Amino acid sequence: MEHEGKNLRDDNAGPGGDDAFESLLARALRIDVPAAGSPVATRRPRRWLSIAVAASVLIAVGVTVNNFYDARYFSSDDLATDVVAHMNHEPGSLRRTESVVATGEFDQVLQQAGARLSVAPPAVSYVRLCPFRGHMVAHFVVQASHGPVTVLLLPDERVDTRVAVDEDGFIGTIVPMQDGGSIAVVGKADEDISEVRDQIANALRWRL
Amino acid sequence: MTAAKSELELRREFNDLSLRLRPDLYRYAFWLGRDRQLAEDVVQEALLRGWKAFGNLEDASSAKAWLISIVRREFARTFERKRLETVDFKDFEEQLSSAEDDPRLDEMRHAIFELDDDYREPLALQVLMGHTAREIAQLMELSEGAVLTRLHRARARLKQALGMAQVADDSEH
Repeated sequence: MEHEGKNLRDDNAGPGGDDAFESLLARALRIDVPAAGSPVATRRPRRWLSIAVAASVLIAVGVTVNNFYDARYFSSDDLATDVVAHMNHEPGSLRRTESVVATGEFDQVLQQAGARLSVAPPAVSYVRLCPFRGHMVAHFVVQASHGPVTVLLLPDERVDTRVAVDEDGFIGTIVPMQDGGSIAVVGKADEDISEVRDQIANALRWRL
Repeated sequence: MTAAKSELELRREFNDLSLRLRPDLYRYAFWLGRDRQLAEDVVQEALLRGWKAFGNLEDASSAKAWLISIVRREFARTFERKRLETVDFKDFEEQLSSAEDDPRLDEMRHAIFELDDDYREPLALQVLMGHTAREIAQLMELSEGAVLTRLHRARARLKQALGMAQVADDSEH
C-alpha cells in the first residue's frame, strides 16, 4: 500500500532538488525519435508474436525486413526514398491478392486525407490513412496486371516536375498535381504503373 | 465556410498537432513498453484514432492531454490483445544508441528500464510531458498523493541505482 501524500514536500517527488540528476533524467528519457513513417533503425519482428507466427512472418517478408537494416532508410530528406521506406514500413500492403476493400472505407480514408477521386480505381486491396512526413495522407494499393501498385496522395508535398522512384526493386513516379501537392505511384520493377498513375492523376481533386 | 474547407482545416490542424506532439508521444509510448517497434505501432494507431475523433474535440487546449490518454489506452489495448513478452535489457539496449560522451546516460536509462511500470510511467509523464501530479493522477486514476509517492520512489530508486544519494524512506507495505 502506498503512503498517500507522505512525500508531498519531498524533493524526490518533483524536479528542482538536484539539477544534475534532473538534467540527466530528462536527457535519458528523451531518446531519439525516428521520422514519422520511416522504419526504426533496429526494427525486429514484433515481440508479441508467437514463435510460429513470427517464423512465418519472417519468411513471408524476409526480404523486406532485411531492407529495414539498410542504412539508407534511417534518415532521408529525399521524397522518393521516404515513399519507398513508408511502403516497406507496411509490408502487409505489398501482397498480391484478390481481396478488395469496401468502397465506403476507401472513400472515407480519401475524405479524411482531403482528397477525392472522380473515378475510383478498380481492385483497391489496401487503404489506410497514414502519417507521412508530418501529415496524414491516403495510402492505398491497386492490384495491377503484375501485382500491387502503391499510391500515396501527398497534398503537402510539392514537386516541380515528375520525379522518378527507383529504390530496392521498386520503380515509380512522383507526379506534381495541377492544384498543388503530388502523388506517388510505385510498383515492382516489372510492373507497368503508367495506367494506374494516369488514371489517379486525372481523377484526383483535393478537397479545397 | 463550406464543409469541405472545414474538413481541410481540421486536417491541417491535426497535422500540425501530431507533428508537434509526436516525438514526446513516441517517447512516452517507448517508456511504457520499452520497445521501439511497439511505440511506433501504438503512436501510429493512437494518431489514427485521434484523427477520427478530432472533429469532436471541443477544447483545443486539451488536445495534448487527450492524445496522451489515447496513447495510454492504445498501449493497454495492445497489451491486452497481444501476449507481450518480458522485455530483455539486452534487446532494450540495442534499441538505444550508446551515449559515448556520457556513460551516466546509459546508466540512467538502465535504471529507468529497471523501474516498475507503476513508477516509470508517472515519471515519464512528469518529465517528458510536463504533467503536474494532479494531471497524472487524473490520467492514471490515482490520488494525487499516490502519484507523489510514486514519483518520490522512482527518483529515490534511480538515485540509489546511480549511487547518487542516500536511500530515502522507501519502505514498501
